[in-house]
Amino acid sequence: MPGEALLALLEKAGFQPVKLAGYTGMKSSPYTEGALFSAAKPGLDLSREAGESSAARPEPAASPQPGGS
Amino acid sequence: MTTDLTDREKALIHTKILEKYARAAVSPAGSFNYPTGVQGLRQLGYPEDWWQDFPPALLEAFCGVGNPFSLGPLQQGEAVLDIGCGAGFDVAVAAHLVGPEGRVVGLDISPDMITRAWGLSGSLPFRNLSFQIASAECLPFPARFFDVVASNGAFNLVIDKEKAAQEVLRVLTPGGRLHLADMVLVNPLPPERANRIDNWYQ
Repeated sequence: MPGEALLALLEKAGFQPVKLAGYTGMKSSPYTEGALFSAAKPGLDLSREAGESSAARPEPAASPQPGGS
Repeated sequence: MTTDLTDREKALIHTKILEKYARAAVSPAGSFNYPTGVQGLRQLGYPEDWWQDFPPALLEAFCGVGNPFSLGPLQQGEAVLDIGCGAGFDVAVAAHLVGPEGRVVGLDISPDMITRAWGLSGSLPFRNLSFQIASAECLPFPARFFDVVASNGAFNLVIDKEKAAQEVLRVLTPGGRLHLADMVLVNPLPPERANRIDNWYQ
């Protein structure tokens, strides 16, 4: 996926603003390179979050550590 | 983007990605065409004082494509999710940056990577981190649970990216930030390479 398409995808999901900050020089092929993107969830867009539970942020269920340590 | 894949193709991609990262969990050497380990960290500009005390095996396991923490600072006490955490290097960095009042969760679809991450985390001085097996398309957290979601080289492996983006938005607090490093297409694929299933996991 080109970087511009990823930006568009993030914007469509509701992130604002979205930014392609730059490329990293890490190339996995002649066609692909690492890139950095920043995006934010709008702070006051309550309509997008209708139906979401809010309030407390309970601790996530801890996954058992392999080996029982 | 993803909807033109059959269920069989999606299952094949998932299986091949798990196989690749099962090998990479042992050692990333030879699995990637770009520098990994300490060479990768230095090339990407991760400040050495962030990781100089990490166990060598955790440094060697690094296979990120960027430094998502270069996009903005993490604050003490923040809650951070790392999607596609691999062996957990970025989780350890985040745990260092948010301090003991913060918390960091690393997710990966690869059971081998999560096992590796738990094992390596035992050598770290942080108790504010944990790891879970899960997919970005179905995040096992309530809404508004994290201040920051980071990901490094994993989003391109997510089959349903639209669903994953919606899930990231859901679990972020209002005003929360996404710091994403990912592999993207910078030149058109030649016709013989375009739309090949193995593009997903090579």
